[in-house]
Amino acid sequence: MIKTQELEINLGPQHPSTHGVFRMITKLDGETVTSVESKVGYLHRGMEKLAESRTYTQYIPYTDRLDYLASINNNLGYVQTVEKLMGVEVPERAEYLRIIFGELQRLASHMVAIGTGSLDLGGFTPFLYTFRDREKILDLFEMTIGGRMTMNMPRIGGIIEPPEEFWPALNKFLGEMPGSIEEYHGIITGNEIFQARTVGVGIISPELAEQIAVTGPNLRGSGIKWDLRKNAPYGIYDRFDFEVPVGVNGDCFDRYIVRVREMEESIKIIHQAVRDIPEGPTFAKVPKLIKPSVGEVYHRVENPRGELSFYIVSDGSTKPYRLRIRGGTFVNIQVLPYVAPGWKLADVIAILASLDIILPECDR
Amino acid sequence: MPQYGSGLFVSIAHLIRGLFGGTTVTADVVMTVINSLIIWALIALAALSLILLERKVAGWMQLRTGPNRLGPRGWFQTVADAMKLLGKEDIFPAAADKWVFGLAPMFVIGLSVMVMAVIPYGKGMVPVDLNVGIFYLLAVSALTTIPFFMAGWGSNNKFALLGGMRAVAQMISYEIPLVFSLLGVVMITQTFKMSAIVNAQSHVWFILLQPLGFVVYTIAATAETNRAPFDLVEGESELTAGAFTEYTGMRWALFFLGEYANLFIVSAVAATVFLGGWQGPFLPGWIWFAIKVLFMVFLFLWFRWTFPRLRVDQLMHFGWKVLLPLSVANILLTGVGIYIYQLIYPAIGG
Amino acid sequence: MENSVLLKKVEELAQKLDGEVEVSIDTPVLKIKGNRIIEALSAAKAFAEVPCDFLHDLTGVDYPERNEFEVVYHLSSLKGAQMLRVKATIDRDNPVIDSAVRLWSGADFPEREAFDLLGIKFSGHPNLTRILLWDDFVGYPLRKDYVVDSYEERRRLRTLKPGE
Repeated sequence: MIKTQELEINLGPQHPSTHGVFRMITKLDGETVTSVESKVGYLHRGMEKLAESRTYTQYIPYTDRLDYLASINNNLGYVQTVEKLMGVEVPERAEYLRIIFGELQRLASHMVAIGTGSLDLGGFTPFLYTFRDREKILDLFEMTIGGRMTMNMPRIGGIIEPPEEFWPALNKFLGEMPGSIEEYHGIITGNEIFQARTVGVGIISPELAEQIAVTGPNLRGSGIKWDLRKNAPYGIYDRFDFEVPVGVNGDCFDRYIVRVREMEESIKIIHQAVRDIPEGPTFAKVPKLIKPSVGEVYHRVENPRGELSFYIVSDGSTKPYRLRIRGGTFVNIQVLPYVAPGWKLADVIAILASLDIILPECDR
Repeated sequence: MPQYGSGLFVSIAHLIRGLFGGTTVTADVVMTVINSLIIWALIALAALSLILLERKVAGWMQLRTGPNRLGPRGWFQTVADAMKLLGKEDIFPAAADKWVFGLAPMFVIGLSVMVMAVIPYGKGMVPVDLNVGIFYLLAVSALTTIPFFMAGWGSNNKFALLGGMRAVAQMISYEIPLVFSLLGVVMITQTFKMSAIVNAQSHVWFILLQPLGFVVYTIAATAETNRAPFDLVEGESELTAGAFTEYTGMRWALFFLGEYANLFIVSAVAATVFLGGWQGPFLPGWIWFAIKVLFMVFLFLWFRWTFPRLRVDQLMHFGWKVLLPLSVANILLTGVGIYIYQLIYPAIGG
Repeated sequence: MENSVLLKKVEELAQKLDGEVEVSIDTPVLKIKGNRIIEALSAAKAFAEVPCDFLHDLTGVDYPERNEFEVVYHLSSLKGAQMLRVKATIDRDNPVIDSAVRLWSGADFPEREAFDLLGIKFSGHPNLTRILLWDDFVGYPLRKDYVVDSYEERRRLRTLKPGE
């Protein structure tokens, strides 16, 4: 009698498509995946433990290293948490600058998501198109602070003032973006093979998303209109007029297209911020030594990869008593074993790419 | 139309043959040796230049420059890469099936050489002008499946095994539409002989008579050469390097060489069968042939750098449910066409 | 707006479960004993008008001087901006609490992380193993009494032995 045996394949931690050091233990029946077990932790650096021996200011650069593709968003999340804890009012101009940089970073991050997503489907060229545009954003950052990836730009109480040449460069970039997005649509969205690979693949139902607590574009891809910037605004997001794009089916294509639409919305937000930004100082009067009173705070922000939140327990000293980071990826990644079985091996890669995971944020 | 300089290589061949007494056995042996040496040289040259071309075209399509350091405009980059690969350690995995693993790359390149023997590179420039040329070509190139499976099986690696399985499924599925797409041309010309097929296109290229056949051939050939969007054998985003995962150094380079030799072969066959081979005005025949091959190669590169990869089941569906019916329909249409033609011009029909 | 409604509901719930309510910055906090946690979470999940049915975060905090762990649940919702913090105190010597996986399957990883870094045991969890650290790691780093290796020790561990 012929017996078939399941083939167990270990994808990762070193694998071209696991976006870092994620590991999946995949069981295959032929090419069909029967079960996926996800293993994380290969990049654990003890971020939460480290926070307990760093002062509040010293910890800002560490947050850069959570989701390194969206470092400004992480910084913002952290400094806003501390500001909330201390009750610091940030000057108007700084708030607008934070919006501008935060949205630029979101654009850059979504570009990576779309580009590497296409790369994981075997399309190499779109990857370089998105990276061309990301490069322009990184140049803007470099102009402002010198860094490109881990910039440590926002501080408790404010943000760095960009140089004068930043503004024309930003306008030039914003002018070029619609054309670039048109190109993405041409080379990715409209591609027959891309659609065949993504439409209907890896459906996350709204119920499953809510059960798992999926957040970010992955949640919106499932058709739930939930964006913290709109539904629970932080900073000054309530002053801006933008849409929250949602998907219909919750498949890989929806998650992709939600990201592209979000990029369009981000451009809209930046346009409005550039139009409305007032003159003035960019730093609030904050004591040299950050020493919040005893208390607790929980603050969540909408990051490109889901909601990032910080939970800080302060004992009144200069260092946090406990700092907890809730990253979007760590929670979102749990969805994989529910979604992947039944699809082909190549689809699992596509699903993973569409979830847009980032491991440093997951493993901390 | 007149061509100038077509006879260059043929005259040289006659000259050499004359040195050894024209029709003697010695002359035949010497000519065979020279021909095979030339084919080997051609494979090396084709691979080196096609790799460079691929990287340049990829760079051009991807808003970057491609190799530009070594030699003028980076033309020597692939030479340097080949040197590097020659110097690399030849690793046999401990668990591999040594013979199967070691022989697979040689089979790939050996089969390519066998196929290249029947291609008409110019007027009178067919190394071996078999009267079953196309048949031989298809038969030998169908064997290319085996070395890929040998590589996948012999590596004793799960990724490689999956890659090898995919190679078998894919190449067998696409072999059929490939053969059928060429059948239309054979029906029109009533011959398998490559040189005769080229001669039959002196007035009209078969791409005009067989547009559907050409399209089916191009798609099936892309799959046969394992190039994107059908590069599932390698499938680097899920299988790291598929069947070639365990290969290093020169053995891996032989697969690479084989891939580009195959690319050259399918382009050459397309040029011969559909684009009129060496036919063309003014320029020597072998230059026309080179131009047509380069055009086909560019087409394949264009596919590779714009399309994402298909999934394995979609690949099968496309092969069996779309390409095969299309190629069969093409045969039917050709048959009807020939019948009507014979009715109208009874004197011409065979 | 949500907060006042939510606060009222939380106060009612606290009375039922002998818990305490406080407001920290703008978030209502419900403090209860660890053994009532599932009741509290299911009740919060089913709040009318302001359901807290989205397990935003789950973590633990170590308080060695009180000899307690606090397991902190942050509940939010996709229906409004409400946010509720539920703190369950458990004994530090016997840190066991009921798993929330049966309420939210997304509690899986956060609970494993709390187990991994703090040593809190979640009874009823389907696969309570270390997640971020390796399986034979000794100790729970986020506990306040965890001793971090000295610089010299870490340096020694980093240095390759001959032959490595």
